[in-house]
Order: sequence, then C-alpha cells, then structure tokens
Amino acid sequence: MSDALLEVRDLSVRFDTPDGVVKAVDGLSFTVGRGESLGVVGESGSGKSVTFMAIMGLLNRAYTDIEGEVLFKGDDLLTLPQSDLRAIRGEGIGMVFQDPMTSLHPLYRVGAQIVEAIRAHREVPKTEAWKEAVEILRLVGIPSPEERVRSYPHELSGGMRQRVMIAMGLVLKPDLLIADEPTTALDVTVQAQILDLIEALKQELNIGVVLISHSLGVIADVCQRVMVMYAGRAVELGSRDEVFLNPVHPYTWGLLESIPQGGAQSHRLIPIEGSPPSLITPPAGCRFHPRCPHRFEPCDVERPALADRGSGHLDACLMTSEAKAAAWAGRQARRNAVPA
Amino acid sequence: MKSRKRWIIGAALASAAALVVAGCGGDSKSSGDTGSSGTVTKGGTLRLATTDFGFTNAFDPTGEYLGLAWGYYDNLLTRGLVGYKHRPDADGNLIVPDLAEALPEPSADGLTWTVKMKKGVKFAPPVNREITTKDIVFAFERIGTKSLAAQYGFYFDPIEGMQAFRDGKAKTISGITTPDDSTIVFKLTEPTGDFLYRLAMPAASPMPKEVAGCFTKAGEYGRNLVSSGPYMIAGSDKIDASSCAKIKPLTGFDPAKNMTFVRNPNYDPATDNAEDRSANVDKITIDINTNLQDIFDKVERGELDGSPDTPPSEVIAKYAQDDTLKKNLHVFSGDRTWYITMNLSRAPFDDIHVRKAVNFAIDKASIQQAWGGETSGAVAKHIVPDALYNGKFPTDYDPYPFDVEKAKAEMKQSKYDTNQDGVCDAAVCKNLFHISRNQPPWTKYNPIIAENLKAIGVDVKTQELPTGTAYTTIQTVEKNVPIASNAGWGKDFADASTFFGPLFGSATIIPTGNSNYSLVGLTAAKAKELKIGFPAGGVPSIDADTKACGPLLDQARLDCWIALDKKVMEEVVPWVPYLSANSVEVSGPGMSQYVFDQNSGEMAFAHIAVDPSKQK
Amino acid sequence: MGRYIIRRLLWSIVVIVAVTLFSFLIFYVLPSTDPAAAFAGKQQTAELKAEVRKNLGLDKSKPVQYLTFVKTLVVGDKYGWPGFNKSFNTRDGIHDELFRRLNVTLQLAIGALVIWLIMGVLIGVLSALKRRTKWDRAAMGFALLGISTPVFFLGLVSLFVFWFKLKIAPGTGFVHFSDNPGQWFTHLLMPWIVLALLFAAVYARIVRGSMLEVMGEDYIRTARAKGVPERQVITRHMLRASITPVVTLAGIDFAVLLSSAVVTESVFNIPGMGAYVLQAVNNQDLGVVMAVTVLAAFFVTLASLLVDILYAFLDPRVRYT
Repeated sequence: MSDALLEVRDLSVRFDTPDGVVKAVDGLSFTVGRGESLGVVGESGSGKSVTFMAIMGLLNRAYTDIEGEVLFKGDDLLTLPQSDLRAIRGEGIGMVFQDPMTSLHPLYRVGAQIVEAIRAHREVPKTEAWKEAVEILRLVGIPSPEERVRSYPHELSGGMRQRVMIAMGLVLKPDLLIADEPTTALDVTVQAQILDLIEALKQELNIGVVLISHSLGVIADVCQRVMVMYAGRAVELGSRDEVFLNPVHPYTWGLLESIPQGGAQSHRLIPIEGSPPSLITPPAGCRFHPRCPHRFEPCDVERPALADRGSGHLDACLMTSEAKAAAWAGRQARRNAVPA
Repeated sequence: MKSRKRWIIGAALASAAALVVAGCGGDSKSSGDTGSSGTVTKGGTLRLATTDFGFTNAFDPTGEYLGLAWGYYDNLLTRGLVGYKHRPDADGNLIVPDLAEALPEPSADGLTWTVKMKKGVKFAPPVNREITTKDIVFAFERIGTKSLAAQYGFYFDPIEGMQAFRDGKAKTISGITTPDDSTIVFKLTEPTGDFLYRLAMPAASPMPKEVAGCFTKAGEYGRNLVSSGPYMIAGSDKIDASSCAKIKPLTGFDPAKNMTFVRNPNYDPATDNAEDRSANVDKITIDINTNLQDIFDKVERGELDGSPDTPPSEVIAKYAQDDTLKKNLHVFSGDRTWYITMNLSRAPFDDIHVRKAVNFAIDKASIQQAWGGETSGAVAKHIVPDALYNGKFPTDYDPYPFDVEKAKAEMKQSKYDTNQDGVCDAAVCKNLFHISRNQPPWTKYNPIIAENLKAIGVDVKTQELPTGTAYTTIQTVEKNVPIASNAGWGKDFADASTFFGPLFGSATIIPTGNSNYSLVGLTAAKAKELKIGFPAGGVPSIDADTKACGPLLDQARLDCWIALDKKVMEEVVPWVPYLSANSVEVSGPGMSQYVFDQNSGEMAFAHIAVDPSKQK
Repeated sequence: MGRYIIRRLLWSIVVIVAVTLFSFLIFYVLPSTDPAAAFAGKQQTAELKAEVRKNLGLDKSKPVQYLTFVKTLVVGDKYGWPGFNKSFNTRDGIHDELFRRLNVTLQLAIGALVIWLIMGVLIGVLSALKRRTKWDRAAMGFALLGISTPVFFLGLVSLFVFWFKLKIAPGTGFVHFSDNPGQWFTHLLMPWIVLALLFAAVYARIVRGSMLEVMGEDYIRTARAKGVPERQVITRHMLRASITPVVTLAGIDFAVLLSSAVVTESVFNIPGMGAYVLQAVNNQDLGVVMAVTVLAAFFVTLASLLVDILYAFLDPRVRYT
C-alpha cells in the first residue's frame, strides 16, 4: 500500500495499574490511506480508543508500555521526539473526541480554542486566526459563525459543540482525521448531519478518516473499510460490503445481531452473551472463545492470526470458511424465524 | 459592683528551686536586693512591656482601681498629701508625708485631721501653677461625682457631708475646709484610724479644675492626667489648656498601644524626699506586647528592662536555676491571700465543726507545690498577709495543720456526722458544687481538694470555670455556691481593714458583685431579701469587732486586727486560707537597680535605674 | 452579567441586615444579664451603667434599640463613620482604633495571602505534575506538617530560632511603612510566612487535588491533541481550570483572617484586629467585640460578593445561574 497515510504494525499497549498489567492492545496492525475512511468498531474496552490515543502519543508514558510501529507519512510516531510529535498533532493528524461537552475547555470561548489550535502551529496574528476560526465554523455548518465563535461551549447545543470539535480537528487541514465516537451523544438527525459532514469534508479535502464507534450503523453509513476489534485485537478487517454482507467472525455476527437493521422490524435483537474479558488476565487462544457459541477444540489454546482465511478479507477465527458460512446462515435463519 | 483593686487575676508560678522568699514562710527572709550589676546612675530610658494595661477606669485616678496603675500614680505622677517610700517589706507599707509638711495627727476625738501643705509645689504642664489645697478639694468633689465612677469612693464616706454632696443635696463637701491655700481640714463622722492610708490613695491627690474639670465622664481624664510628681505623660507640654475644647488627648498615652512618661520640668526635688522618689531614669516607656513569652525573651536579651506582668513559670524556673540570671529574679511578698471560701448560710458549712474539719483536711503544702513551691508564696495560716501587721503577727501561729485525724475528730462533733465516725454521712455533704478556675495551677490542685475532702465525707463536684466567670458566679449571692477556691484577695492599702471590711462585713453583702462570699454577718432578713436560705443556728458576725478596731491607731490598731484575725480563724472559720502569695518579677541586664514597692505590689518605678550601656 | 451582579449585591444587603440583626440579638437580647452591665465591662458602677444605657438607648424598646444600633452604624457617630460607639473600657471612640488595626491586619493578611497563594499553587501544581514521585511525597509531607503544626508553635519556634538564637530576624512588633519601609518589611516577613504556611499547606493540597482531577479531563487531552505545547497545556488549561475553587476559598479565607489572625498577631505582637478583639475579650470590652464582629461579618459578606463576581468572570458557566 504505497499510498498508506498511516501504517500501524504490531502495536501493543500495556498499562501498569495497581491491579496488574492491562494488555489493552495486543499486536494490532492496519493501514489508513489518503481519501480513505476506516471504521473501527467494538465494544467499550475493546481497545479502539486506546489505539488511537497511543498513536497520538496522548497516553502517559510513565504508566504505559507501547510497542510496535506507527508510521505516519513514513515517520514512526512512537519514537519521534516530543516536539516533532506535537507538530504532527493537530496539523498532521486532527482528532475529534466523543462527548464535546467535556472535550471542550469549559472556560474558554470556542473561537479561542480554535485559535489556540491554529496558533500552536502557525505564527498567525490573532485577528487573522479568529477570522480563520469563523471560516472553519462556517464550513462545518454552524449558522452565524461570527457570533458563535464568541460563545462558550455551554452556550451551544450538543450538535453545535460536536461541529465545533470537528472544526477544531479540521482547522489545520490535517492529512488524517481521527473521530472518536463523534456522534454518540447526539440525536439521530443531528448524528446523520455530522456524519454527512465528515463524509463531505473527506471528499473535499481528500483526507484519511478514522471513525471510531461502537455502532455498526454509524460505520456502515460512512466508512469504506471496517476493522472489528475485540479485547485489544482486530478480529475482522475488510471493506464495508465484505464485513457487513459477508461477515466471517462470530463476534462480528454477534455485533450485527445486536443492532436493529434499518427497515426490517421483524428481526430479533440478540445480545452477545457474557461480558468482555479482563485484559489483565485475558483468555488464552482466541480471546473471544469463552463467549463464542461456535468454539471448538483449539480455540482456547491457539491464537488465531488476522489473515485472509478464504473469505477475501481478513479475519481471526479458526473455523473453516465452510463452517463459518453454515454457522452464519443458521444464525440468520434463526434470527428471522420468529417475529416478536 | 466594686471592682476591687486587688481582685487577683492570678498567676501560675514556677517550681523554682528553694529561693529566698519574703513573708511569713518560716525562716525565709526578704531579698531586699538592688538587683544591680553596677553603680546607680541617673538618666536613660526604662523600657517596659505588658500584654495589656488592664486599667479598670481608663487611668483616671478618681476611679482607677488597678494595682499597677496605683504604682504609676504614686511613684511617678500624682503626689498626695501623704504617700509611701516605694520600698519593699513592711517599711514600704508605712505612710510618710508627701505634699504635707509633716505626718498629720488627728484631734483628740479622732474626728478632725488638719493637714499643712508644702508651698511651691507646681503642677506639670500644661497647668504650670502652684498646687493649693483647693486642688485637693476638687479631687474630693470628683470622688463625690457619680458620673466619674469613683470605684473606691466608699473609703471617703466617713468625711462629713460626702454623702450629701454625692446625692446633690450640697454644693460643697461640708467636712473639707481650706482655711488658706496650704491648710486643709477634714472633719469625719466617725474616728477612722486608717484615714491617712485613705488620704494616700490616688483619688485624693490634687487635680487642677481647669483641666480635670473638663472631663465629666468616667475615665476620660485618664487621657489628660495632669501630673504633680517627678514625671508626666509625654506630650503634656504640647497641650493647650486655655479652654476645655482645645484639650486633645495626650500623645504619650494610647490605651491600645503604649504609654510614655518623661520628666516633669516643674518637679522640684527639694519639695520631695529623695529617699522616697530617687527618680533616676529620664524616661519610661510601657508598650503593649501581646506575646508574654516574647516580652520575657526580650527582657532576657536586654531589649526590654522589665515587665509588670508575672513571668510564665518556665521563665521563673530558668531565672531561679541560672546563676547569671538569678540576680535578676525578684521575689517579694505580694500581700495577697488565696483561700477556699465556704458558704456559712448553707449546709454543711453552716456547722463550724465541718468548717474546722475542712481546714484540717486540706493539704495546703500540696497546693503550694501546685503553685510552684516556695517561690510562689508561703502557706497561709491566717487571713491577712503578715506585711500588713508590720511583722507583729506571731510566726508560730498555725491553728489548722494538715491532719486527717484532727479533721475527723472535728467532723465527729458535727450534726452531719450522725454515726460519729469522723466522716460526714448526711446527704448535704454529697454533690456539693465546688467552683474553681479552669487553668493552672487550679486545675492541678482541684483534685487534691476533692480528695482531701473525701476523707471527711465531703463530696464535691468541681466546676472549672474561666477566671471572670468563676468570679461572677461566686459574686452572685443567689447562686448560693457552697464552696469555692478560685478567689484571692489583696490589700487596697496596708491596713487589715481592707480585708475584714469587704470580705466579712455584713454591709458588703449585695446581690451581685458581692465580695463577702462566705456571707459572714448574714441576717435572716437579708437572707430573705436575697432569696437564699438561712440556717437555724444563725451566721456569725464580726461587724462589732471591725467597728471596734476602726478608730484605733498605731500599735493598738495592729493588736486589735491581729486579735480579730485569730478570732475569724478560730470562731468564724469562713475560709481555708492556703497561700500567702508572692509578687515575682524579672528584670533585664539593662536595669541596674531594681526596687520593689510593697504598697503597689509592683516594681518601684520611682527608684529603678538603668544602665544604657547594657541595654540593647 | 450586570443583572447577576445586581442580584448578588441585593442579596449581600439582605445578608448584612441579617448580620446586624443577629449581632443585635447576640449582644443585646440573648444574654440573660443586663446588657448595660455587659457593655460596662469590668467596672460596673450604677453611673457607668446609666451612661451605657443612655449611649445605647437601652431604656427604649428592643426594636428602637435595634434601629438606634443600625442608625449609628449607617449614619455614623461623633467618632466617625461607620459608627461603632465608644469603648467603655478605654473611654475612647472605637472607630479610629478599629480602622487603625484593620489597616495593620490588612497589611499582614495581604502579604500572607500573596505568599500562601504563590506557595500553595506552586507546590500543588508541581506535586500534581510529579505525582507519586519522591517530590510529591515530600511536598505532601510538608503540607501535612503545615496543616498540623499550630500557628502559635510555629511562631514561637521561628522567633526563638531566627530572632533569639540566630539573631538574623528582627523581634516582634510592627513598624509602619511610612516610618521605615525596610523595617516594615523585615518585621512583617516572619508573621507573613508563619501565617501563610498553614494556608499554603491547605492550598497545596487543594490545588494538587484539583489539578489531578483536571488532568484527567477530556479537554486536557483535546488540548494536547491540538498540538498545544505542554507548558501551555499546564498553565492555560490545567491551572486555569483548577484555580477557580482556590480563588473562591482564598477570598473567604482572607476575609475571615481579618478578624481571626489572633494567634499570629499575639505571638508577633502586631497591633491588628485579632489582638484587638483578644484584648477586648480580656477586658470584657463588649463594645469592641461587637464592633469587630459586625465589621468581620461585613467583610466576609463583601468577600463572598466579590468572590461570586470574580467567579463569574473566571467561570462563564456561573453567569446564567
């Protein structure tokens, strides 16, 4: 992948906690290309946010042990000096966080926060930076941005705040935008607007986008490629159609079954049984096996690598492709069988 | 309520090693030292500090009742017709002529005192004129002016016409006449043997009407006191006294900060006795310093020369044990008695046998130890401190040595010991409130008292209160406090009448502010009026005895008081006197001569000398 | 914002009226003793009590007494404005002495405030940034020491060491700035530090806790993600957010200190309000005690008003509540 903007190789993140070492991310590899959008999906605690925090160098290194390589336009972010990394944050990689209520500083005007981002990287006069802030707010679709720029975060609605967050992430025209649950706190119409906005901006600016979400619906709307994460590992990675139409990992199946699918009301919602494993003492072998209804002999010993196992995209399940097809068909039949 | 000059606020003293102690304590003798380290020179500044002036009437001599203020007045500022030598021991309690040419004698009937005054004695600035007997008359008119709150004005009640003047029925005091500017005649309604002591009080010193007359409210004259003595308050010469309106408070006295005395340019030593006022220093400063420890640190380092405050016990201990400091520790009899008072109006203390039993039962030596041993004072064996008897009280007098057996023997005779085993078994002996203070040394010996009394079956519940509250409690007759150990009493002047009158006189029993805590002389009628009980057996009175001693003079007077003291101890038994307390002061290296003034119970400012080369 | 201030201002007036009412109740109505006797203090002649009665209007009905009391305060009396009547102990108007002492205490308190804020914030911030290191432990050890060491002990020990033994510090006392600026400073330095130490310790802990809380906030991560330099993240983002509670606290602490630096003032012999009220209590000078009480309550009210307004400036979220 010559046009890879971000290439992550074998990333591991471990936290020292009083209870033990948390293996939050374990041997993760993926790429994001320019003009491409990658959706990262998984339950809370699956390591999706941590992965990108690690990439951005936002984890406290005193308690964190990070291994692997994170190549951004060829530079390894993990070994880059702080000052160079700082220069990349914001300008090379923009980040949009979930929950803009807490992610925006409550004591500064939103304009000032955008201006701060600009002036952290470019020597621009304040007045000019403010003008730029107004423009970016206009770009993300905030009405009367000349006034809004002087608002405090608490004076804006949730959707507006999220737009401000996006504006802040984009104001420096980064090559890569990482959006971490950008729509979680928003109602459905606003959510759609925000996602459309991200999509539009991606087109317009030709940037790479990583969209982190626990919601497959959001991912399906926006992303060209999808990575499914479970307990710190990627379990399935492929194009949107591949993953949604031909899922091959039991965890992905579980995820798909646990969300309502647009229009078809007759589907039952089936939650995934059990709860995510402890990352201090994760299960051996496939980390999903204790919750997997299809587990068989080697699942609790053999660690399945992420690879193309005959489906045309990558997955990490030891079942044969035939067994997978049969199991998935069976599950779909059961799901559609009994109307509520 | 009369705010007694020597209401004793009290002080905890150190357990310093054996020291030479004044007073009656066995073989101890007065340390009439000079505290000196070098020759006495004139000049320099005496620098003192105190945590608080504590004046009771804002330094107006007509009403001021604080012992220390009296020290300032008659050492430095106000000369009376008669005064003191400002020396330690009994000598310092003797009356000497001051403005009077000679010590006056009463007429044969004891009712008329004629005093000839020296000529040529002038007031300090801003008055600058000769003092005449009219200025004495004006002082007495101030005493008789109600709004000026003369707190010890009752001492002058024997003067004819005083009451009529006070009540506004007369324009002048008929009993005081001035045949000429240097003669004054006092006519009394009854012979008053200690009249000269009363004349020596600061309220009776001359006051110029042109300034003092401007102040008609209590205490205000204190800010513009006109001196007749060797010193004056600084700034006196800057006052424009041409009219009352122009008089501004003196710069040398700020009640919240400091006081400065400087030499009075009009003072003529020829009119005074240099033995009585050597007036060595040029200037005296007294600053308020709220940190007592700091005051004594500064004294030790020589940044101050002394303090009228009682040093903390650890300071006294340090001075007592350190050879170089020892000479700067000054211990003299404070002429004050600390005692346990028993309420004669209520059971079980309405029974003299119980009161005697209590006297035997209390271990006074232990209390003395709690106070800090011999430095703090001698064990008291009777009512009035010995220095007031001019050394005539028998030193072996000890009616109630600590003896539990004797205590029980007394208790056996009591009606409250029905089974005659020497231990009170009546209900009235249980749960008796015992008022005391909530600070050392009281807190150290409250348990001793309770323990001692338990041996004879008297069961007390000690209430430890702050100083002021404790006094207020026992001074309110209605509270009917059975027994209390918070109180002490000091002399107003060196005559035993200042103990027997206010402490045991029936006339002094008043509903609040009472100082006759034992209610000696209480009558059934008065008890009813005060809403308290009256015991079937009655309450003894010493009014007749006090009255009999009152007119006497000299040796006869002393003998009379000594006999009364013994009578009170043996036949009335209102108290357990336990400590005849000392006055303890320390001086700094800059003070080249320390002299104690027995009359004021403070350092004799009139005789202190400093050595500026040793001051820091 | 304007309406907010006006609302707070009106509320403060209500509080001050309540304060005068409570003071009146405490000093005039609740005591079982005759208030005239209480104000007359140590020396209770009938004449003095009569003067007190006349002065305070005690022979009138209670509501009239209260109105007289408030009127004296608001209109002033012959001793100055606001009127605090006279001390029946020193026979002098209370007003002048009170404000002279307030002036001294202000100098003590402001100096201490500056020191304790600088120390408290600095130690708190460093401690939070280097948390769980030796530095943090040492700083918090100091804080614990500062909190648990009584001021009088600290004062006496520092006097003993620096003045009595080492002779490098001047002794106790107070020198007016106009008399000698150098002496003024050296005499106040030790009291400032001693007084500040306790607060510095408390504030260091508060700032540390507040910083640790803020450090975990999402917006700090946002700031870093924007590429803001670390120093700016600490000052502009963390400190700015964690300082707000400190400002509130400091305002009130400062106001309370004006009447409660009793121990420091006593130990260092500084003629301030605390020493004044202590002296007044010893002398049973109720007039002064009451004057200080009213003035102190006024300052606390004023401080809480100012703090609220300042808070609104510091935290825009408050303005509309």
